Amino acid sequence: MTDSRRWFHRFAVRGVFWRQYLDFGLTNVPFYLRPVMIFFWTIFFFFLAAPERRAILSNLRVVLPGSNPLLNLGRAWLTLYNFAWTIADAADHKLAKTEFAYELEGAEFLEQLAAAKGAILLTAHMGNYDLGAAVFAERFQRDIRMVRAPEADAETAQHLDESLERAGAGAVKVAYNTASMALPFELLNAIRAGEIVSIQGDRAVAHISQRPARLFGEEVMLPDGPFMLAFVAQAPIYPLFIIRTNFHRYRIIARPPIYCRRAERGREAVIEEALRDWGRTLEKVIAANWSQWFSLVPIFPAR
Amino acid sequence: MVFVSPDFSRAMKDTKGSERGYAFALPRLIVRLTGRTARRAELSRWEAYGTGILVFGVSCVFAARLLLPLVRLGPLQLLALLLLPFGIWVAFLILYFINAQLAAVLRRLGLYAAVTNNPLQHAVIMSLTTLIALAFLRDECDWVKLLGAFWLALLILNLTSILVEKLRHEP
Repeated sequence: MTDSRRWFHRFAVRGVFWRQYLDFGLTNVPFYLRPVMIFFWTIFFFFLAAPERRAILSNLRVVLPGSNPLLNLGRAWLTLYNFAWTIADAADHKLAKTEFAYELEGAEFLEQLAAAKGAILLTAHMGNYDLGAAVFAERFQRDIRMVRAPEADAETAQHLDESLERAGAGAVKVAYNTASMALPFELLNAIRAGEIVSIQGDRAVAHISQRPARLFGEEVMLPDGPFMLAFVAQAPIYPLFIIRTNFHRYRIIARPPIYCRRAERGREAVIEEALRDWGRTLEKVIAANWSQWFSLVPIFPAR
Repeated sequence: MVFVSPDFSRAMKDTKGSERGYAFALPRLIVRLTGRTARRAELSRWEAYGTGILVFGVSCVFAARLLLPLVRLGPLQLLALLLLPFGIWVAFLILYFINAQLAAVLRRLGLYAAVTNNPLQHAVIMSLTTLIALAFLRDECDWVKLLGAFWLALLILNLTSILVEKLRHEP
């Protein structure tokens, strides 16, 4: 890439410029003007981020069958508005340690996760997963290894890594989900050492282990890595979602753990069953919180 | 970070459901006068959305009062009114940038030391909005006058609440 192209790349939707500008905004915009600013920036990105908008629309068509295409445009805007709020809140926590209020659904499962010696926290591109991981690590004094899909832009990836590690006071370590064979071993060792590994299980990126699953009646590819890891490490999987409910307020939704027990049946059958469990959990949470499913790529097969 | 669920882990800071967080002194004082507890925190959606819309709205009305006499045709006036909020948004972005430069200069001179530029931005935005509200009081249109008076009343009540908090040694 030439220097001038690299410079322009900074201003692409996923370029580092917007992340840096967000940091500027949060240290310069008083809290009461943020709703107005985010409202207008969402309009700007609604037009600029055309592939992401189309992806949200295509996902909405399946999540809300029979929905009006015109209303879905409004729903796509609302999804981007919520996305803007969640990344702004995560950056706000990083930069100013701003206070947020939480309510809990499934507190007993979160307590189990906090006490677990090695576990997998399975989440989705929903709500504020970045903020959630940082807060969890900070509050429970637990190290979290967060597995993310690689960012398209290297500078953005570096900025996000630094942000997450700063927000989690060093307790959140980011690993990227790539074709590398080293990552599964690294994660397995981390779980065996008693750490919590956080993985987003609603989107399979290319070159990673995946298998077909049912979601909203459609066949989709979901990553099976978390289940294989749980099977090998014999660690529980805790589904966890952090949904924005209002200004500086979130709801943590913890669901019953999914186990991949070795003794029961063969590996394939156990993983298939766990994947089905995860699919059902995911479906329920997405159906109730479709405006906070930030899977900005098409998940379902094109029609 | 505050966790409001009463059954949450002991590792979390547990707050009673009745406790509320407000950034401005006026709502804190009102809540305390009703016998409940309130503390300083940016947790109220009413404050965030209400103040934001009011500040932005005052700026939009001010710009509209200046702009509309220059646009004669009805459809053009409608278009101007539709585009105006976007123009004000851009004007705010420019204002943040200018204030950030001012904060940088003040920091270099050792006159400003807050962690973020938000306190300075807040002071400038509040001052500008108050100046606009004062100008509204001299407007011939009744509802514009009322809007100016409403802002000034809120400002005076909030400043009084700050004073009351100081006198009562409340955080």
